[in-house]
Amino acid sequence: MQSHSIYKVPQGKLLKISLEYDEKKNVIIDIRITGDFFAYPEEAIEYMEKKLKNTILERKQLMEQISSIISDCHIEFIGVNAESLTQGILMCKL
Amino acid sequence: MTEQWRLLQTGFTNAYSNMAIDKAILVLQSEGKVPPTVRFYGWTPPAISIGYFQSLVDEVNIQACERFGVDYVRRITGGGAVFHEKELTYSIVVPEVHPEVPKNILKSYGRICGAVMKGLHQLGIESEYVPINDIVTGGRKISGNAQTRKLETVLQHGTVLMDVDVEKMFSLLKVPNEKIKDKLIADVKQRVTSMKHILGKEISFKEVAAAMKIGFEQEFHVELIEGRVSQEELVLAKQLEKDSFSTREWNHRR
Repeated sequence: MQSHSIYKVPQGKLLKISLEYDEKKNVIIDIRITGDFFAYPEEAIEYMEKKLKNTILERKQLMEQISSIISDCHIEFIGVNAESLTQGILMCKL
Repeated sequence: MTEQWRLLQTGFTNAYSNMAIDKAILVLQSEGKVPPTVRFYGWTPPAISIGYFQSLVDEVNIQACERFGVDYVRRITGGGAVFHEKELTYSIVVPEVHPEVPKNILKSYGRICGAVMKGLHQLGIESEYVPINDIVTGGRKISGNAQTRKLETVLQHGTVLMDVDVEKMFSLLKVPNEKIKDKLIADVKQRVTSMKHILGKEISFKEVAAAMKIGFEQEFHVELIEGRVSQEELVLAKQLEKDSFSTREWNHRR
């Protein structure tokens, strides 16, 4: 299943998610995170997209996975954060 | 003695070259081969730059760009899509450890935007920094800015609008919904301004550059000495332009 979301992060930037997911298993097959936000280092976003594959599409699991990627890669986001990324991904499911 | 930084005035070049020069300065400054640098430049032909994280096809009307002879390029910095036409673009490249540059990224945006604001003040325009990355005057945006940090070096580039054509901009950018395009254009016209609009007259690139030079000198307590792009920077920029910024792989990568 292919889906998209556009989420204006409160006090932040515009986050656009393209998601391909397995409806039966409720997991991410592929994800593309785009938008006008900032992330340091920039290349970490591609790593995050890779690491999000097979993550269960539930708030708790997404938050945990995203938070652990942020801490592993020492990513500093400006204009988005773990909560808004989770929110943007979950909006694809509606 | 006042610290000296290099000032580069590279004139008007195309989008790929512009982005390649900024990156080349970053790489060679990180190796200590060139001094901290402030650069002023413009864009010929006019171009759209998109933020590193943006999807090219989501943001840019590629057919319209081709029709109007407008280039498009992905930046190494985050942030949004910008139509570069009548503006001065600056870049600043300085080591992350430089005492004048805050470690905190958001604070460093504020400091570098402070230089632009002091430059605008030289032209009789009062402005303020609005986090994350805008400078506004009378509540309307006159400058957008984007920063990256690589190789322990800060690169921030930004645009200072001399004039703006919102209709043309929207003919080149994709809008999420064609039905609300007119309203969007009307909104953006209310939210964006330019030097021409504020001063009620045209102002030359040279005048703006002279004002910005003073702004950067005042903000960072340095003297900007006009210099040249080094041979090594030129070679690297040419290579980056050819292998990266002008390629489909780079520009369509997201």
